[in-house]
Amino acid sequence: MSRASILNAIKKNKPESVPLPQIDLSLFHEDIDLVDIFYKNLESVGGRIVSLNTIEDLDAEIKKRYPNAKSIVSCSNTSQLATISISNETEPHSLESIDLAIIDAQFGVAENGAVWISENDFIVRALPFIANDLVLILSKNDICLHMHEAYNLISKRERTFGVFLSGPSKTADIEQCLVIGAQGAMSLTVFIF
Amino acid sequence: MSHAKEAELFNKDEAKVNWHDQALWFVRNKRDKAAHTVKGWEDLRNLASAIKANVLSNLDDYLVQFEENAQKNGIQVHWAGDAEAHNKIVHDILLQNNVKKVVKSKSMLTEECHLNPYLEAHGIEVIDTDLGERIVQLAKEPPSHIVLPAIHKTKEEVDALFQKHLGTVPSHGDPRYLTNEARKHLRDKFLKADAAITGVNFAVAETGGIVVCTNEGNADMGVHLAKVHIACMGIEKIIPEEKHLGVFLRLLARSATGQPITTYSSHFNKPVQGKEMHIVIVDNGRSEQLSREAFRSSLHCIRCGACMNTCPIYRRSGGHSYKATIPGPIGSILSPGMDLKKHSSLPFASTLCGSCSDVCPVKINIHEQLYQWRQIITKNVKQPVVKRSILKMAGIVLANSKLYGFLGRSSRFMLKHLPKSIVNSKINTWGKARDLPKVENDNFEDWYKKRKS
Repeated sequence: MSRASILNAIKKNKPESVPLPQIDLSLFHEDIDLVDIFYKNLESVGGRIVSLNTIEDLDAEIKKRYPNAKSIVSCSNTSQLATISISNETEPHSLESIDLAIIDAQFGVAENGAVWISENDFIVRALPFIANDLVLILSKNDICLHMHEAYNLISKRERTFGVFLSGPSKTADIEQCLVIGAQGAMSLTVFIF
Repeated sequence: MSHAKEAELFNKDEAKVNWHDQALWFVRNKRDKAAHTVKGWEDLRNLASAIKANVLSNLDDYLVQFEENAQKNGIQVHWAGDAEAHNKIVHDILLQNNVKKVVKSKSMLTEECHLNPYLEAHGIEVIDTDLGERIVQLAKEPPSHIVLPAIHKTKEEVDALFQKHLGTVPSHGDPRYLTNEARKHLRDKFLKADAAITGVNFAVAETGGIVVCTNEGNADMGVHLAKVHIACMGIEKIIPEEKHLGVFLRLLARSATGQPITTYSSHFNKPVQGKEMHIVIVDNGRSEQLSREAFRSSLHCIRCGACMNTCPIYRRSGGHSYKATIPGPIGSILSPGMDLKKHSSLPFASTLCGSCSDVCPVKINIHEQLYQWRQIITKNVKQPVVKRSILKMAGIVLANSKLYGFLGRSSRFMLKHLPKSIVNSKINTWGKARDLPKVENDNFEDWYKKRKS
């Protein structure tokens, strides 16, 4: 059975055309404090939040939270902590022993504590997954209500690779006990300014 | 062996069954809590169901649109009519790239196609990288749940497995220690793999891109390190537009585990320069299921597992008792379409309570389809003698009020005076694990008549 026979079988067997529904956003609208809800949801998924008085405090606050990080990659102009620089030529396997990656988040989603980051924000696709710990920098003004708004925000992007990231990697595969730090980042901290 | 017989085996360890039951019920409760916090949850379910209905009615067009857009982005698209063709396509891609080691993230489709044994027979190492899947792979077992593959294993069993295969020290099943050891073990595999195979949660016709959801980050660790990415999807994974992901991602993780979203929702649209990305689109009986009017909505399924977590039968019989790739209520309406005879006991593994349909994020009428499969199965597959004759006798008795009254009176008399060893004899399956309720003197009719006079 090839492409043609699969498509023919579908054509023969599919039901009569059913219209595509419209998404009525008014059904999902809520007047809530987006920053507050984002905080709560990020904490519930195992993420940490540091609220900065001013963005100038960023590096000092990162150092306080990750005092032992030695190999640091920063993809953000606001942090000067990088000890290793990367480019799109960087071989991803060489990032194996990165302690900390610092990345600018494009925006956060209040309903689930996720942030959106795409390839341009972290240069090497493997970085946010292979780094031991993850720091994301997010402006308070860049938090949207829900995933419908989120997809609206990324609708005009250049589509290569992007990810909604909600907290550090985790698993409950052994007797349903939640363990933070599975195959990806062991911790995730969002610094909000 | 029938589901009932398999369930009996699972029920030999009562303590374990009780734990399994409670663990899944706990997940079901988390699902409820998560769903109740979302404004417009029922509207989301309606939308998701309606989008999927539209998808099925235009599936061929959407697949062609998806293929075109994926190819524009440098993704190679392949089509497989059945499991065998799928396995061969994957193997050919691996051969062309001289791949010896593969890491795989969770994909129920590759389970369905038995891809691992196929590749292993051709000398390729395949490592499942989801922790639960790795556990069952080491135990040489299939997953018993589509979201929680090792839910049937105790932590002590995992401990023993890891000692044997990963060389860990005994830890009395410390989940933190064992997870961390698995992390080290899998890191090594990720770094050495030549190719990564993933499933597909959603494929977007409008953009030609795919979305893969994990909590562990294992799909991304595999894909971004290996030089070849192969994503395998059933034809029903298509959604029309990217904005529809907003609907499905709000529903998926909340229904599955009660999380507001999976940790990683990765959007793959284009391979990195110098690397290859392949998508294998698989039919394997799905277009046939599409032809069955009563059952086609089973193809709406987004594989969240909510119907398993809520099902009183699944929770007490375990995923392996279904002897099907997808266990539980949804599996019981999908599997008979693949092999009616082999899976003929599955639609009977239900109380028809309807809880599965109530929690389904895409509103599949699962319990009604279970009932409809029963109608087809009793016509086409020979049923056990006891079941056939008892139902036939019941039909005669229930149609004759005098006979009904007589048999009612005599059975009440017998149940009262016969010894327990006879009342709970082999033929009374109810009596296997419990006693019958206390027998009263009158039936309702007698009691009602006396009450009037």
